[in-house]
Amino acid sequence: MSKTSVDSKVSVKGLRKSFGSNEVLKGLNVEIMEGEVVCVIGPSGSGKSTFLRCLNKLDELSAGTVIVDGFNLGDKTVDLNEVRQHIGMVFQHFNLFPHMTVLQNIMLAPVELKKESKADARATAVKLLDRVGLADKADARPAQLSGGQKQRVAIARSLAVNPDIMLFDEATSALDPEMVGEVLQVIRDLAADGMTMVVVTHEMGFAREVADRVIFMADGLIVEEGTPAELFGNPQQERTQDFLSKVL
Amino acid sequence: MRNIVTFRAGKFTVAVTALLALAGGFVGVNAAAARQPSAAVTGETYVIGTDTTFAPFEYREDGELTGIDMDLIRDIAENQGFSVEIKSLGFDAALQALQSNQVDGVIAGMSITDERELIFDFSDPYFDSGVQMAVAEDNTEITGYSDLDGETVVAKRGSEGETFANSIKDEYHFTVKALADSATMYDDVKAGNSVAVFDDYPVLAYGINQNNGLKSVTEKEQGSSYGFAVNKGQNPELLAAFNTGLAELKSGGEYQDILDKYLDAPATSNDTSFFGLLSDSLPALMKGLGLTLLATGLSILIALVLGVMFGFFKVSESRVLRGIASAYVSIFRGTPLLVQAFFFYFGLPQLTGQSIDVLTAGVLTLSLNAGAYMTEIVRGGIQSVDPGQTEAGRSLGLGYATTMRRVVLPQAVKIMTPSFINQFVMTLKDTSLLAVIGFAELTYQGQQIYASNFRTGETLLIVAALYFIVINLLTMLSNKLDKRFNK
Repeated sequence: MSKTSVDSKVSVKGLRKSFGSNEVLKGLNVEIMEGEVVCVIGPSGSGKSTFLRCLNKLDELSAGTVIVDGFNLGDKTVDLNEVRQHIGMVFQHFNLFPHMTVLQNIMLAPVELKKESKADARATAVKLLDRVGLADKADARPAQLSGGQKQRVAIARSLAVNPDIMLFDEATSALDPEMVGEVLQVIRDLAADGMTMVVVTHEMGFAREVADRVIFMADGLIVEEGTPAELFGNPQQERTQDFLSKVL
Repeated sequence: MRNIVTFRAGKFTVAVTALLALAGGFVGVNAAAARQPSAAVTGETYVIGTDTTFAPFEYREDGELTGIDMDLIRDIAENQGFSVEIKSLGFDAALQALQSNQVDGVIAGMSITDERELIFDFSDPYFDSGVQMAVAEDNTEITGYSDLDGETVVAKRGSEGETFANSIKDEYHFTVKALADSATMYDDVKAGNSVAVFDDYPVLAYGINQNNGLKSVTEKEQGSSYGFAVNKGQNPELLAAFNTGLAELKSGGEYQDILDKYLDAPATSNDTSFFGLLSDSLPALMKGLGLTLLATGLSILIALVLGVMFGFFKVSESRVLRGIASAYVSIFRGTPLLVQAFFFYFGLPQLTGQSIDVLTAGVLTLSLNAGAYMTEIVRGGIQSVDPGQTEAGRSLGLGYATTMRRVVLPQAVKIMTPSFINQFVMTLKDTSLLAVIGFAELTYQGQQIYASNFRTGETLLIVAALYFIVINLLTMLSNKLDKRFNK
């Protein structure tokens, strides 16, 4: 578990990922600093989500190294469960646990991982729910919530283990348009608090507003990256220009 | 009478047994333990196998085994100073039990034949049988073989009755149909599907005495003799004691008393109403139902454990564990339950030399069988939970086991419950198949009853009603619990 430079939260070198004979990631190199908000944009099938899922090893790496928060994910001796407590993840389809109340969803990991007593976990959960604006939904079941509310609960659930890094996998793609704003506001607040984040998104306006850096991916490769002003205002690559002309 | 076909069935079972043993990957050793013959039988207890019902030789009256064979073996035992423990297994089963040394001797109205003398040692004959023809009580047209022209008759499969009927069918131009037991043959004649039945005369005589609705119309044909059998070379002292005892009973007159008691007895004046039958048969049927529920309960519990274990194997990442679970499921889903029951009760003891009691064999069969289906239910339940649930759990830092326990299983159980209830009902009904190895559950008790009173339809109606009531009550209860805990 060699620590790399203190400032680098995520260090990706030569990352490749294949599903069978289909190579989805064809060698990525990314460095993400502490407190940095990186938005990843690109067409469907470009490998954005796979890249994100390699950062907490929900998908196995085929080649290359990924070092997150000082842990080398390629190292077999690394305790993945330990690493994942440092990395929160928010999914497109929320993946709330339908058999539990909102509060139980949030308390599950802290209690099971023995990070907090039940009482403390409950207090934390209530605080987190308040933070995402859902204090009154503590005893509701996921089925009783709207999409936007579900996603805000999912974010609160990820925050409950007190992660250093948050990964958002198209967190607003499954939402009705009028609910996108409330979720983006929560993410925006997190960014303002200095959380290191990697956000895969189709919300270009949001990326332009919140990101410190934007990465454009296509066909399993990083085509271009830069500040929002650079990438959206003056894209260098034809592939980037082509994509932006279609979505903006 | 009792057949040669039986032996083919026996060999077949052994062949299947061997096949299954190979498939199971363990090496069969034929190590049937040889018993040491003791000098005298005095004070010894011998296990004697017999048929379930072959009235008047063996049948149940008020739940007790009785009949010519039963009186004879008990009187001889008393006369010679040894004890007997009777096991009512069914004819085929009794012979297989004798071959595998699960019993010491068999007395089951068994004809002494050349084929059987190759593998068993027989006593002196204790009864001379013969085939007789009977027709429905109200039939006045058939009075002899010559009236059978163009008609269909029925005989017991593989029996002397069938052999005899076949030997004269060309001469008298009739067709022979074979059925499995006396009670169904008599029903066949009464229903008019066959005009006449060829059966052993003592069996016919007893049935007619019991008002089975038939009458005999011919003299008995000269037939074979019944003998008591022990396994070849085993228990010679028991055989000798039987012969001595038989001779003493014959000279003392007790032998004739036994025959008169069963063959010349006037028709018993039982209550012949449906409710009479119900109240007569209910105690035995309830005992059977108790065993049915016991076997079902035990089997389902074990099957649940097996199903959960192998179900987890099936969804595990280890190829070895998945292979083990798949092999288990293929074997027990890919072979009939009946063959499995025969294997565990008759085959396994022959391979291991270790005898096994019928409840154990029955529960083993049902639980391994149901466990295979449970495995698939568990696998299906787990796999039907959205993979995103596992990903959410794992991304929070929860381990595989915790994620399973807290996230996946609570949802999977909800999905599995209706299938579990279904399997429970299936297993309850499957217990009826254990009647073939002589497990005294509900169906077996029903067979016992109609085999001696010849009221097949009514008895089966009561048996079916009992299954129906119990299964529906349990299903309602299960659904209630399901709603309560899986809302």
